Amino acid sequence: MNYNNLLDLSQSLIDGVLFGSIYALIGIGFTLIFGVMNKINLSYAAASVAAAYVSLLIVQTAPPALVYVAAALVGGVLGALVYLICFHLLPLNKPLATLMSTVGMLLLIDEAIVHITAGMPQNYPAMFVGANIDIGPLSLRSDLLFVFGFGCLVMIGLTLLLKRTRLGLATRAVSQQPVAAQLCGMSITGTNMSTFVIAGFLGGTAGAMAGAAIGVLSPLLTLPLTVKGLVVTVIGGLGSIPGAIIAGLVVGGAENLFQYLRGVSERDIYVMLLLFAFLVFRPGGLFPPPAGRD
Amino acid sequence: MLSINGLATAYGKIEALKGVSLQAGAGQVTCLLGPNGAGKSTLMLTIAGILKPKAGSIRFENEELVGKSCADIVARGLALVPENRLVFPALTVRENLMAGAYRRRDRAAIRDDIDKMFVRFPRLKERIEQSAGTLSGGEQQMLAVARALMSRPRLLLMDEPSVGLAPLVVAEIFEIIRQLHGEGVSIFLVEQNAHMALKVAHHFYLMEQGLVTFSGNPGEMSGDDVIQRAYLGKRRAA
Repeated sequence: MNYNNLLDLSQSLIDGVLFGSIYALIGIGFTLIFGVMNKINLSYAAASVAAAYVSLLIVQTAPPALVYVAAALVGGVLGALVYLICFHLLPLNKPLATLMSTVGMLLLIDEAIVHITAGMPQNYPAMFVGANIDIGPLSLRSDLLFVFGFGCLVMIGLTLLLKRTRLGLATRAVSQQPVAAQLCGMSITGTNMSTFVIAGFLGGTAGAMAGAAIGVLSPLLTLPLTVKGLVVTVIGGLGSIPGAIIAGLVVGGAENLFQYLRGVSERDIYVMLLLFAFLVFRPGGLFPPPAGRD
Repeated sequence: MLSINGLATAYGKIEALKGVSLQAGAGQVTCLLGPNGAGKSTLMLTIAGILKPKAGSIRFENEELVGKSCADIVARGLALVPENRLVFPALTVRENLMAGAYRRRDRAAIRDDIDKMFVRFPRLKERIEQSAGTLSGGEQQMLAVARALMSRPRLLLMDEPSVGLAPLVVAEIFEIIRQLHGEGVSIFLVEQNAHMALKVAHHFYLMEQGLVTFSGNPGEMSGDDVIQRAYLGKRRAA
């Protein structure tokens, strides 16, 4: 491998890791909800993309930064709706019930997007396009750097929320020991609901950042984001937020590396092989959940 | 203080409580004995609001608790130290105590109370920033008691606080029960260790197969086969 190949390889890796912050955000959302409710919300990535679509309503009048914030807020509202429709109304002791209801919601959201936009990709605003930062022969795409930075800010915000606030204490307590949490006076329903809203904020942000990084929103985004989000959740360790962050960046980097080495058509095969390797050799993921959970 | 009447709780079709009636007096230590599977923990969880009864009433300081949420019940001054402790394993000792004070808003007083817990339970102070899952069984039991006390209860329910602990630690737990009683906290205790319970409790109930089958003070117990039945669950000959 000569010098130029090595440069290209490093460049793909860097771009991939930066884009991986989006996977990390989606992974955190899955993992947060799983941590608190022990359930998978399969409609999560679709709702995240939908939130970005809704934020297009103000794209003509507002600067990009405000559009992203709008996407996050809409994500929160969608999170609450998904909780009420797919979880609150259903028997939670039947694991398949909520799994199927969220698959239904995934399809519904997908169809709604296709129907409203006639399946046409929509331009999404980016920031700092073209102004790249050169480090020697490598260059950091400023728009991706912004996506990465924005993602990191949101993750720091989430960590502070979980570690420093009353709501965060309740979220962690309910996820670890629901009976004792109730004995302390915490409301399971209230905590579940607020977890969905918080995850929705993250998802809306992820949807907006995906749109900003790619330049367009398309219904074709929902399925890959769902799959990558789940892969990240499993590799990171179900319920682990640091795990989801690291796994998100790893999967993003690996994906671009595979694309560089084997081409775009084979890329996802290798991502799945990576997941397979984890399932075989480290099924608990990077940060396995503590054993002996009641 | 606590007055339970005709309480029935079922898991699906299995009736765990079949009309339980008993009282826990103010300023007293009341002890509930009974063999495994008698429904003691079900009773505790029903009083605390985790389980919803099918019938009957639970009156606490002349207020009906049936139908109220756990949060409301804690806020009224009734806290449960659950069976198996159920500390939050990945939260630190301090965070566990903060969780116990979740319904309170007086931040300064909460901080004072945490300091008081560390006077009462010095071992916890050494472990303040450690996650609760790393504590020994005895320390976890102390933490579970401290967490319940953080809600400033007037009646403390304790479900088998001594189970699985070394004799020295059991003695420590009972010493704490005695102290709390001295400070005016009423206690309703479920206990398998009848000999320890005899030293602190003022009134005893025996529960067998979802029903209260004996009620009396410690003196009335010696002539009866209550203690034997508490362990073995032998039914009284008719």
